[in-house]
Amino acid sequence: MTASPAGRTRRVTIFDYGAGNLHSLAKALAGPEIEIRIETDPAEALDTELLVLPGVGAFTRGAERLESARDAMRNALEHGLPCLGVCLGMQLLFDGSDEGPGAGLGLLPGRVTRLGAARLPHIGWNTVTDGTDPLLREVHLRDTYYAHSFACRPESTDVVTAWTVVEGDRFPAIVRWHNTVGVQFHPEKSSAAGVRFVRAVVGAALGARI
Amino acid sequence: MLSRRLIVCLDVEGGRVVKGVQFVSLRDVGDPVELAQRYESEGADEVVFLDIAASAESRGTLLDVARRTAERLFIPLTIGGGVRSVEDMAQALRAGADKVSVNSAAVARPALLTEAADRFGAQCVVASIDATRDTRGGVASGWRVVVRGGRTPTERDAVDWAAECVERGAGEILLTSIDRDGGRSGYDLPLTRAVAERVSVPVIASGGAGGPEDVCAVLGEGEADAALVAGILHDGVTTVGVLKDAMEAAGLPVRRMERGERRQ
Repeated sequence: MTASPAGRTRRVTIFDYGAGNLHSLAKALAGPEIEIRIETDPAEALDTELLVLPGVGAFTRGAERLESARDAMRNALEHGLPCLGVCLGMQLLFDGSDEGPGAGLGLLPGRVTRLGAARLPHIGWNTVTDGTDPLLREVHLRDTYYAHSFACRPESTDVVTAWTVVEGDRFPAIVRWHNTVGVQFHPEKSSAAGVRFVRAVVGAALGARI
Repeated sequence: MLSRRLIVCLDVEGGRVVKGVQFVSLRDVGDPVELAQRYESEGADEVVFLDIAASAESRGTLLDVARRTAERLFIPLTIGGGVRSVEDMAQALRAGADKVSVNSAAVARPALLTEAADRFGAQCVVASIDATRDTRGGVASGWRVVVRGGRTPTERDAVDWAAECVERGAGEILLTSIDRDGGRSGYDLPLTRAVAERVSVPVIASGGAGGPEDVCAVLGEGEADAALVAGILHDGVTTVGVLKDAMEAAGLPVRRMERGERRQ
């Protein structure tokens, strides 16, 4: 919790729900003059310039870990705190999930439901289609790595900037609202283009706060 | 469209890759971190580290390797070999694995798969099954589960066991034909197809790859979602790029890398 020296070091915080591998995500976020902090307290995690909700674990457990600071976190994102939600982290932006009980942040209206595919989990590289998201072209991102059985169903598709299809079920690959970006794929596991995507999100987030 | 995957497996012992890997351009051909990165840059879709010693000492070293790898590898990493408990899995995931494969320990105590899926999610849990052809009766499908690296037969039918693994929580099946492993005469297509048709999760076929046509056959006729390759790449018989070109030419959906990104 040290102050940024000379105001130069920028803080990016990964909220840790307690399970899984955060190494690759932390490394993808890293850059010069960027301090990567891993924080287990959701209220403390808001003391940052970019909040990252990572993509490992189950919805109920993630919702439980957010519970004590859910309103504060939603409020911070509504007031423009940049946020990147990956996989489960994207799903937690919504109201709730059929995967299990618990409340998401409720930042984006809609629920998370099971994919309509015979072969689940949806594991592997799939193509991002119908992408209007400006970053897709900028970083040449086309094939991304997925590992999930549930997907977000926003009430308004206005927030969706890219889609992916599995066995005919079209689900949001990227959602954007204010300074929040949610991605259902794992950019930190989507090789060089995925890492470029993460770095572009970091760049935009920190730029937005200058 | 969901791509068919090409997964590269490296056998690791005491933190080193044990089978020779012939990359002339690499200074240290035994370093798993460097090799995993090299395969990523060639276009591999995933990497598996298989701890073949599976001793406590080797495991500790492997976790250190996983940590270093996760910081430099930006495709999924699976760790397997000698995983006994949920705590072993937690350690591997914390160290940097995205998925953990379980073999003999799940055969001995199938509830391990459920405990793991409940804690980490099914997408982290890979059930690794070693199977051998056995038509003498006793296993209805004609394939028997073997453990301890294929040395010890069990009473289990390989196709039934795959279905049970999925019911208990496994998110993928890594299916190795012990009969074909290392022989380079092609994957066991009927075995792979029998399992792929029985289970609802992705199936990774392993054992027997001799060249591009074998990889294409197991992903096509064999109905596998992914093909695991090891020796033919490490020995320089072929390359990731050649295999993926062949997959694409065969009409299989593959992940293509950006022009200029792939190193040959």
